[in-house]
Amino acid sequence: MSARRLPASDRLFGLRTMLRIVGRIQRRGALTWVLVLGASMIGTAASIAALYDTPTKIHSYAEAVTSGNALVAINGMVEGIDSLGGVIQDEFGFMASFLLPLLGIRLAARATRLEEESGRLELLLGGRIARHEPTLAALLVATATIVTTGLLFVVGLVVCGVPLAGSILYALSLVALAFVFAGLAALLAQLTLHARGVYTWSLIVLASSYVLRGVGDATKTWVTWLSPLGWAEKTAPFGDQRWWALAIPLAAGLSLCGTALLLAARRDLGSALVRSGAGPERAAARLRGPIGLAVWIHRPAILGWLAGGVLLTGMMGALSQQLLDAMAGNHALAEAMGIANGRPLDGFVAATQLYLAVIAAGYVVQAIGTLRTEEAEGRLETRLSGTLSRARWLASHTLVLLGGLMMIVLGSSLVLGLTTALSVGDMAELGTTLRSGLAYLPAELVLAGLALTVYGLRPRLFGISWVSYAVMTFIAFLGPGLKFRQWALDISPTTHVGNPPAGTIQTGALTVMTGVAVTLMVVGFTAFRRRGVPQS
Amino acid sequence: MTDTAVIHTEGLTKVFGNVRALDRLDLTVRPGEVHGFLGPNGAGKSTTIRVLLGLMKATSGHAELFGGDPWRDAPRLHRRLAYVAGDVALWPALTGGQCLDVLGATQGGVDERRRTDLIERFDLDPTKRVRDYSKGNRQKVALIAALAAHADLLVLDEPTSGLDPLMEQAFQECIRERREEGVTVLLSSHIMGEVEALADRVSIIRRGRTVTSGTLADLRRHTRTAVRVVTVSEAVGLADADGVTDFQSEWIDGLKDSRFSINSDNLDAVIGRLHAAGIHTLTVTPPSLDALFLQNYGETLDPDEVAADGSLAEAAR
Repeated sequence: MSARRLPASDRLFGLRTMLRIVGRIQRRGALTWVLVLGASMIGTAASIAALYDTPTKIHSYAEAVTSGNALVAINGMVEGIDSLGGVIQDEFGFMASFLLPLLGIRLAARATRLEEESGRLELLLGGRIARHEPTLAALLVATATIVTTGLLFVVGLVVCGVPLAGSILYALSLVALAFVFAGLAALLAQLTLHARGVYTWSLIVLASSYVLRGVGDATKTWVTWLSPLGWAEKTAPFGDQRWWALAIPLAAGLSLCGTALLLAARRDLGSALVRSGAGPERAAARLRGPIGLAVWIHRPAILGWLAGGVLLTGMMGALSQQLLDAMAGNHALAEAMGIANGRPLDGFVAATQLYLAVIAAGYVVQAIGTLRTEEAEGRLETRLSGTLSRARWLASHTLVLLGGLMMIVLGSSLVLGLTTALSVGDMAELGTTLRSGLAYLPAELVLAGLALTVYGLRPRLFGISWVSYAVMTFIAFLGPGLKFRQWALDISPTTHVGNPPAGTIQTGALTVMTGVAVTLMVVGFTAFRRRGVPQS
Repeated sequence: MTDTAVIHTEGLTKVFGNVRALDRLDLTVRPGEVHGFLGPNGAGKSTTIRVLLGLMKATSGHAELFGGDPWRDAPRLHRRLAYVAGDVALWPALTGGQCLDVLGATQGGVDERRRTDLIERFDLDPTKRVRDYSKGNRQKVALIAALAAHADLLVLDEPTSGLDPLMEQAFQECIRERREEGVTVLLSSHIMGEVEALADRVSIIRRGRTVTSGTLADLRRHTRTAVRVVTVSEAVGLADADGVTDFQSEWIDGLKDSRFSINSDNLDAVIGRLHAAGIHTLTVTPPSLDALFLQNYGETLDPDEVAADGSLAEAAR
């Protein structure tokens, strides 16, 4: 360190140091992403390989999903769907459209603007680090993580019996997709002042890409080519195998990265193209009360999860007639959707309600996690230094987050009921749909109770809530399909609801779950009133 | 005295796991005084304040705020106080002005005139979002909120750590004004000059225990004053005089240049001797708070203590 080195080795010194720093910052997050993505891909592939084990079954699946535009709009237009790889690409299509871009966005934003915003970047640039090197290191680490994920995909696909060439091209198309969004986030990190802005704009681009791809696929026009998601799809890994199509995302990604690096090297630290303007000088009266502030704190999350719920239920509802038609001729499809017997429409609404329950439970856990953030960042301490008591603070937040839960469940169920009723032309579905949505509330409240208990006792262990949520989601989505034993299914509170409206609502179980939820909440409240603040 | 004190703790102890953050700490803050609360990082200043605010429960010992129990009665007692936390944390998406109102809403009341006046004096733009503020500006928001509140007690935990000298000046003026109105202030600080300028009484704590407490004059009486003197002839018996230590002297250009330190009680006698020798120049420096502080800390912290501070910070986290 003390000896002066030659400029040439100096240049490498900065990048090497930055790579070590970014690697250390990202280590845990990147590993989690790689494992979760790898596991969901391999899980999907394995369960599909087991479910569609003959060419005939694959053929009937292909017929079913290509019979209307609806599924094509959701999962994408899969060329060569009449193969195991094609079915996997179709089934994984929806998840891949969001998870891979998110991987790129998260990795790039985390190591660039967030670091700059926190002031840590300033510390580094004060040392022997050139201005563009943190961004370069962030992009290199992101790329390495994305490529590792891709490798895992290839291994998983080949193990499940998908041909090697197709597997490699498919994995590469997803790697390129994530890379484009990493480049986009790195560029946005140069333009916006806060990491939050990077996420917002990246997600807007992602949503637009999804819509463009959907429209293009549904109308079978060139519009698909405008979307990065379309570029990935057009490589047709299990159809014509257009390797050259990889050049488009590669070129786009590289130019985004290049522009980001150029800007990083030239702009002032802490500067941004887009800045937030002045705001109100005084707080509105409703913001001053504990409930008002809680509403303000939780509003973005409520609206976000509500949008997700409405998007899902609206789409499913609108497509219900088409899906019913497709299922009528194909039992395997019905089974894949978790609808085995009984009236298909009820089964379809029940399946959607289960998805909605998972969304609602996710909101609940995240919202209670917000309380932990308030405490960890020191705002709770300030908040409790006035006339507000702990009990009132926690009660107002609980009230608001339960209100948010009701909004998400009722709003999404209403949309599901209305769109389904319109699609199948029968208004009688509305009441049933709303009732089955509400029937899941006790199950969601159990998770809320658990999260509150953990928060009240040991906020540091809040991860337990997320693990419970992951277990619940896993059992709810894959349990029936993968034919879990009953005791394993029973771990998830959603199992006890009774799968309405296809099955009957288990009133007894709902009462028990409500009791459990209330008990857990009381434990959480009591513990919170007794412990020291702040604890994180 | 207990019943009139604004803050009174006796044998206050707080244990986190196996770390003793507070170890039988005694602290008394009387009505109307500015009380300097000094100690190095990890000495237990913030923990004491959190116990006094009822944010944490003492493991043992006694803590009183306005004669009440802060753990059981926090919201009622908080009506009469305003607090600035050591790490100012606000909602990044709110503007400074909105934060002032949100904070004010849970205080005993806000003096609107003073709020406007303080915004001007601290030169704060209340329409800017908190996330766009510098550290110093966030600090100002918390300070203005506390100073504008109708409070009988201000609890300030290192309130000026991010302020520039100009704002530091404004802060000191505001504290003096509030004291004149009869407000009591508990001022935890690292800035000795600030405490020296503001505090009526000082408590120095170390490893969760009060090392010394009293008025600045009290503390000085038991400490040493530095003297530098140039005399025409050599003062007789100066080196061996009562209370003189660290004596050094040399002849420069026919004058005797001496330096020594002396107990305040013996100062008068020694000055007599100097006078007899013919004073050319004389500088008498009373002990600064820095010196008092360091003296109470034995110059440096030993390695053990640094380690204990580290683990304490961990435990508090």
